[in-house]
Amino acid sequence: MPSPTNQEVLDALAQINDPDLGRDVVSLGMIKELAVDQQGRVSFTFELTTPACPVRDRFKSQAQDLVGAIPGVTGVDVRMTANVRPAFMRPKPSEILPGVKQTIAVASGKGGVGKSTVAVNLAAALRKAGAEVGLLDADIYGPSVPAMTNSRVTPEQVNGRLRPVEAHGLKVMSFGQIYPGDQPTIYRGPMVGKAIEAMMVQVDWGRLDYLVIDLPPGTGDASLTLAQAVPLTGVAIVCTPQDVATDIAIKALQMFRKLNVTPLGLIENMSWYVCPSCGHRHEIFSHGGAEAAAQRLGVPFLGAIPLEESIREDADRGTPVVISRPESAGAKAFVEIASQVAARTSIQSFRQLPVINVR
Amino acid sequence: MTITWEDGLVSSYRGEQLRWACPCAECRGELGAPGRLSRLSSLPEDELRVQDVTLVGQYALQIRFDSGHATGIYTFPYLRSLGRER
Repeated sequence: MPSPTNQEVLDALAQINDPDLGRDVVSLGMIKELAVDQQGRVSFTFELTTPACPVRDRFKSQAQDLVGAIPGVTGVDVRMTANVRPAFMRPKPSEILPGVKQTIAVASGKGGVGKSTVAVNLAAALRKAGAEVGLLDADIYGPSVPAMTNSRVTPEQVNGRLRPVEAHGLKVMSFGQIYPGDQPTIYRGPMVGKAIEAMMVQVDWGRLDYLVIDLPPGTGDASLTLAQAVPLTGVAIVCTPQDVATDIAIKALQMFRKLNVTPLGLIENMSWYVCPSCGHRHEIFSHGGAEAAAQRLGVPFLGAIPLEESIREDADRGTPVVISRPESAGAKAFVEIASQVAARTSIQSFRQLPVINVR
Repeated sequence: MTITWEDGLVSSYRGEQLRWACPCAECRGELGAPGRLSRLSSLPEDELRVQDVTLVGQYALQIRFDSGHATGIYTFPYLRSLGRER
C-alpha cells in the first residue's frame, strides 16, 4: 500500500479542534516538520501555544489515533513541543519589555486574599511546565515575593541595568530586594508609578514566555501605571469566597475592563479547609462566591484553592508549595489554575489590537 | 490618521477634528469650569497637525500635535465614536 501524502495527514489532523482557540490545530499552525517516509511512517511536531496546555495529552493521543487510522500508515511519531506566542499579534515587540511574550497580572480588590501566594505559585507552576518565567512584585509598600521565594538578595547591576534574582528557576524582581530588611518604602502615589516603571525598564528580564506581575491591592497608581505602560495580556483576579471580598474583586475586574485589559478569570482562594484531626471539610469564608461572581460577570472561573497549613508554611520558608509538596491538594489546585491561565492567555495571542496609521 | 479596528472597520480622522475633540482637562475644562476650547473659535495651524501617536497600554492613544500639545488620552471607545466610516 502506498504511503499517504502530507495533505492526507494534515486533513486528518485538521479534525482536532483547539477548545480554547476555537479553530483546528492545522490552520492554527501547530503542526510542523511533517514527514512521511516510504514505509508509511509519519512524524511531525505538534507545537502547542503553551507548555502548560491543559489538553496536551488529549491532543497527543488524538493525533496518534487520527493519523494511525489513515490507510498506509505504519507508524506515528509525534513530538510535543510548545512555543508561547507573543500577545496581540504585535508586529514589533513592545519597547518597554522587549523580550517578554506575555504579561499576566495578578490582582485583587481587597488585600490579604493571598494574591502574592497565588502569583508565586502560578509562576512556579508555569516554570515547572517548562516555560521561561519572570515574577515582578509590583507591591512597593508591602513586597512579599522575596520572602515567599527565598530571594532576599540585592540584585546585581550589569551595564547599568539590574539583573533579576534567580529563585526556583524564576527571575524575580521586587522592591523588597532593593530595600531589604525592615526599612519601609514611604512613597506618594506618583513615585509608585515611577518605581514600577523602573522595575520594567531598568531590569534586564531577557527572554521570557511569561512575566507574572503581583499587583498591590486596590485600583490606584500601581494598577494604572501598569495598564498604561505595558500591553498586559490579561489579569487574573484573586478573591476569597465571602461577599466583602468578591464585591471588591468585581470593582478591580471592572477597572481592568475599562482599561481594555482582558480579565483572564477569577480565582477563589481559601475556598475550604480540611481539619487535620476530624477530617471534616470546613468552609470558613463560605464557598463558591467567586464562581458565582464570575458567572455574573461573564468571565471564566479559573479554580479554587484550599486553605492549607502547608501552603502558608512553605510560603514562609520561601518555597512555593507547587515545588515543595507537588502531591498536596493545594499544589494540584495551583497547577490546574496555571494551565487554565495559560490557555486563556494563548487566546489573547490571536487577538488583534486596533492598527493605527498616521500620514 | 486611520484606525483599523479589531472587527475590520476602518475609521479615518483629520488632525483638526482630533484637536477639537481633545479630551484633556485643559481643553475640556474640569469640575464644571469651561476649558480652553470652549473659549476659542479657531486654532493656529500647528495646533491642528498630528505629529505623533503613542499607544497607552491597550486602551487609548496619546496624540501629540506639532504645537507640542499632547495631554489628551483618547480612549478607543471615544475614538470609535468620533470616527466616521470610510
